Amino acid sequence: MAHRDVAGAAPGTIATRPPTARAGLAAPATIKSWITTVDHKRIGILYGVTAFAFFLIGGIEALLIRLQLARPLNTVMSAETFNSLFTMHGTTMVFLAIMPLNSVFFNYLVPLMIGARDVAFPRLNALSYWIFLFGGLFLNASFLVGTPPNAGWFGYANLTTRQFSPGPEIDFWMLSLQVLGASSIMAGVNFIVTILNMRAPGMTLMRMPLFVWMTLVTQFLIVLAFPPVTVALIYLMFDRFFGTHFFDVAAGGDLHLWQHLFWIFGHPEVYILILPAFGIVSEVLPTFSRKPLFGAQIMIYSGILIGFFGFSVWSHHMFAAGMGPVADAFFSIATMIIAIPTGVKIFNWLATMWGGTLRATVPFHFAAGLVGLFTIGGLSGVMHASPPVDLQQTDSYFVVAHFHYVLIGGSLFGILAGATYWWPKITGRLLDERLGRLGFWIIFAGFNLTFFPQHYLGAIGMPRRIYTYNPGPGWGFWNFWSTVGAFAIAFGVFLFAVNALLSLRYGAPAGADPWDGRTLEWRTSSPPPPHDFDEIPPVYGRDSFWREKYGDDRGRKPAPLPAAPDPHGVHLPSPSHWPIVVALGLLVAAAGALTSLALVLIGAAVLVAGAFAFALEHHRTPAHVRQDGVLGVDHRKLAMWIFLGSECFLFGTLIATYLAYKGRSVVGPHPHEILNLPITTLSTFDLLMSSLLMVLALAAVQRGDRFQSRLWLGGTALFGLIFLGFQAYEFTTFVHEGLTLQTNLFGSTFFVLTGFHGGHVTLGVLWLLTLLVLDLRGRLGVQDALKVEVAGLYWHFVDVVWIAIFTLVYLLP
Amino acid sequence: MSTPSTAREHPTTAEQQHEHASIRTYLIVAGILSAVTALEFGVIYVRRLAPVLIPLLLVLSAGKFALVVMFFMHLRYDSRVLTFLFVAPLVLATLLAIAVMTLTGEFLVFSR
Repeated sequence: MAHRDVAGAAPGTIATRPPTARAGLAAPATIKSWITTVDHKRIGILYGVTAFAFFLIGGIEALLIRLQLARPLNTVMSAETFNSLFTMHGTTMVFLAIMPLNSVFFNYLVPLMIGARDVAFPRLNALSYWIFLFGGLFLNASFLVGTPPNAGWFGYANLTTRQFSPGPEIDFWMLSLQVLGASSIMAGVNFIVTILNMRAPGMTLMRMPLFVWMTLVTQFLIVLAFPPVTVALIYLMFDRFFGTHFFDVAAGGDLHLWQHLFWIFGHPEVYILILPAFGIVSEVLPTFSRKPLFGAQIMIYSGILIGFFGFSVWSHHMFAAGMGPVADAFFSIATMIIAIPTGVKIFNWLATMWGGTLRATVPFHFAAGLVGLFTIGGLSGVMHASPPVDLQQTDSYFVVAHFHYVLIGGSLFGILAGATYWWPKITGRLLDERLGRLGFWIIFAGFNLTFFPQHYLGAIGMPRRIYTYNPGPGWGFWNFWSTVGAFAIAFGVFLFAVNALLSLRYGAPAGADPWDGRTLEWRTSSPPPPHDFDEIPPVYGRDSFWREKYGDDRGRKPAPLPAAPDPHGVHLPSPSHWPIVVALGLLVAAAGALTSLALVLIGAAVLVAGAFAFALEHHRTPAHVRQDGVLGVDHRKLAMWIFLGSECFLFGTLIATYLAYKGRSVVGPHPHEILNLPITTLSTFDLLMSSLLMVLALAAVQRGDRFQSRLWLGGTALFGLIFLGFQAYEFTTFVHEGLTLQTNLFGSTFFVLTGFHGGHVTLGVLWLLTLLVLDLRGRLGVQDALKVEVAGLYWHFVDVVWIAIFTLVYLLP
Repeated sequence: MSTPSTAREHPTTAEQQHEHASIRTYLIVAGILSAVTALEFGVIYVRRLAPVLIPLLLVLSAGKFALVVMFFMHLRYDSRVLTFLFVAPLVLATLLAIAVMTLTGEFLVFSR
C-alpha cells in the first residue's frame, strides 16, 4: 500500500488524544518499523538517541583530556593519544553531537509548530539520518583500527597531507566529514522547503515561531556553508590519494587556501550550532514569563543578520596568519558589527523576562543560564575581533574558554532547555523537577569551574593543544580545578539521563499542554498522533495557540476559524527501506576508499541502484503527483532551486581556486600552451544547444506530445554525451601532451574543476536517459511534466556553469 | 514542429499555470546564445580589443548566463521567491570567490 490513510481518525478539537496514542514511539515498534520509518517524529527520536550516544563518547574524550591535564607532567596518556582525543572530541561534538541534537528539534517540532503533517520529503529525511549515523560510525571506526584522526578538528594543511600524516587517520576524518556534509545539505534543503512551503493557512512568515525562524536561517547557512569545506576536503582527498598539488607549497600551492575554505564554512558553522539554541530560548522564556517575546520581529531580523554577517567574518580566525592590514581591518569591523544583532537578542530576552510572571522550571533555568553564559562567551568573542588583542590570545586557553562558553553555555544549554521543555510533548511524561534542578545547578557550577579559569590560564600563557606542561608557570592549580569541574558536568549529565529514564517509566502523564504553551505543537496530544493533527490547525496570529486560549492583549478571543481545507485528505507516507540502502552504499564506498577499489565499486553500485529505486518508488503514487505548497510552487521544484543555490557555492569555490592558482605553476605546461579553443567552442555550442532541446522536451511533455518528448529528451541526452566525448578527447590529448593531475597546479585545478563539471553532466545524462526510458515505456505523461522540468533545471544549471568556465578558464588571457 | 505551445494549455500543477516562453522565444534565445559564443571566440583574436577584452568577455558571459536562467530556466516567468533563492546565493558565492582570490592568489586588490 502506498499510503496509510488515517482519514478515519476521530476529528479532534484541542488536544484530545490520550498519552497512549504514542505516535513516533508507537506500535508497531519492531526494529524493521524503525529502520524503514519516514515519520518525522520517529526520525527526530532516532537523531536524539544517536546524537546523545555520540555526545557521551565526545564527553568521555573530554574527561580523558582533562585527566591528562589535571597536573603538571602527567602521564595518563602519550602525546599522540592526546592529539587524537582533542581531534575526535572537537569533531564529534561539532558534527555528531551538537548539530544532530539540534536536528532532534528540527525534525520533531518544526512540522508541528507550522501546522504540517510531516516534512516535505520524508524519505529524504530518513536518508539524511542514516547517512549521518553511518558517517558517525565510520569516523569512530578509526578507534577500532587504532588510527583515530589526530590533526585537530580544523585539519590545517599541510599537516594533513600524505607527507606529514602518512597513515589512514586523516583519511577517516576527511571521508567521514564528506559523508556527514551530504547528510546535512540534504536535511537543509528539506527543512527550507518544509518551512517555506508547508505552513498551515494563516501561518505567514512573520507569524512563525522564533524557533522555526532560527531553523530556517540555520538551514540556509548549512546549504551554503558546507560546499566550500566539501571542496576543500575534496582537494585534500585528491592531494592524498592522487598526488595533486592543492596544498603543496613547493608546487606553488597556498596553505592559506585551506584555512580560508575551512573557515568560510567554520564560522557560519558556529551560527549553525548556536542559532537553533537561540530559537529554543526564544520559545522557552516567553512561556515561563507568561509574556510574548519582546520585539519578536526584531529578533527575527537579528537572526537573519547574524546569518548574513556570518559569511563575512571568517578570517578573524586567521589574524595570526598575516593577511595584511586591509583584510584585518575589514574582518575586524565585520566581527564587531555582528555583535550588534547578537546583543539585540540578549537584551530582548531580558526584556521578555522583565515584569513577567516567572516560573522557575528546569527549562527556564537552562534558558536563563544560556542568556548569562552566552553573554560571557560573546564578550570574549568581541575581544578577539581586535587583531592586536587576538594575536595575544590566539592558540591560548583563553580561546578554549571563549568557544566553550559559546558552545556549551550557548548551544548545549539551549539544547538542554529544549530537551526539558519538549520532553513531555515527545514522551507524554513529565520529568522530575527537583532532580532536573539539581542537575542544572551541578552542570552550571561544573561548567563555570571548568572553563572560567581557562580564561586566566590563557592570559598567563598556557597554549592550546599541549599534552602536558611543566610545574614552573603555575598552571597546575587551575588545571586541577578545571578537571574537577569537567567531572561535575559529567555527573550533571548523568543526572539528566537518570531523570529521563525514570520519566519514561514512572513520569506523571504530561497532558497535551503541560506548560500552558503558546505555539501549535501544544495544541495536539502528547505525544502527537502519527498524523500530527486531526485537522490542520487554524492560525490566529503570532503565538496562535495562546491567542486561541486567552485572546489578545485585551483578552479578546478570536472568532473560531473553520478548519483549514485539506483537499488531499490525511496521507502518511509509506515506510521505505531505500534510504538505508542508499546510505549503506555510501558507507561501503567510503570504507572502500581506505581499503580496495573493488569495495568502492560495490558501494557505488549499491548507491546508484538504491538511488534509482528510491527515485522511482513512488513514480506512480497518486498522492505524489501534486506536491504544491503555500508558495504556489511544487516542493520538488523549490528544492531544486535551493540545491542550485548551494551548487553556486560549490562551483564558485572550484572556479575561485582555479583563478587564484592561475599562473602559479612552477613547471609547464601552462594553459595558453595547451588549451584548444576551437574544440572547446564547439563543445560549448553543443551544450548550449542541448539546453534548447531540453526546453523543447519539457514543452512536448507538457502538451502530451509523446513523439516529440522522446525525440527531444533523447536529443538532449545525446548532446550531453557528445559534450562528454569532447571532454574525453580533451583530457586524453592533454595527458598525451604531458599534462596530468600530478603535473603542476594548473593540471590539478583544471582537471578537478572540469572533471567535476563533467561528473555533473554525466549525472544529468543518466537522469535524462531514465526519463527517456520511462517515456518509452509509456510511464511519462502530462502529469509528470514537473519531473522533466526539475531535471531540466539541473541540466540548464550545468549549462550556465559551463558558460562561466568557458570564459574564465578558456577565454580569459 | 507542433504549434508553439505553453504550459497554460495543459496545466498539471499550480506552478505550471505560470506563463512560460513560447517555442519561438526559445529559438531566438538559442540563436543569440550561439551568436554570442561565436563572438566570444572571435574577439580574442582582435588585437584592438585587447585593453577591454577581459570586461568584454565577462559581460558577454554574464549575458549568456542571464539568458539561460531567465528563459530556459523560466525564472522570468516564475515566482519571485525562486529568483531570490537562486540569485542571492549566486551573488554571495561570487563575492566570496572574489574574496578568496584576493586573499590567496595573484588577484590582489589590496596589498598585503
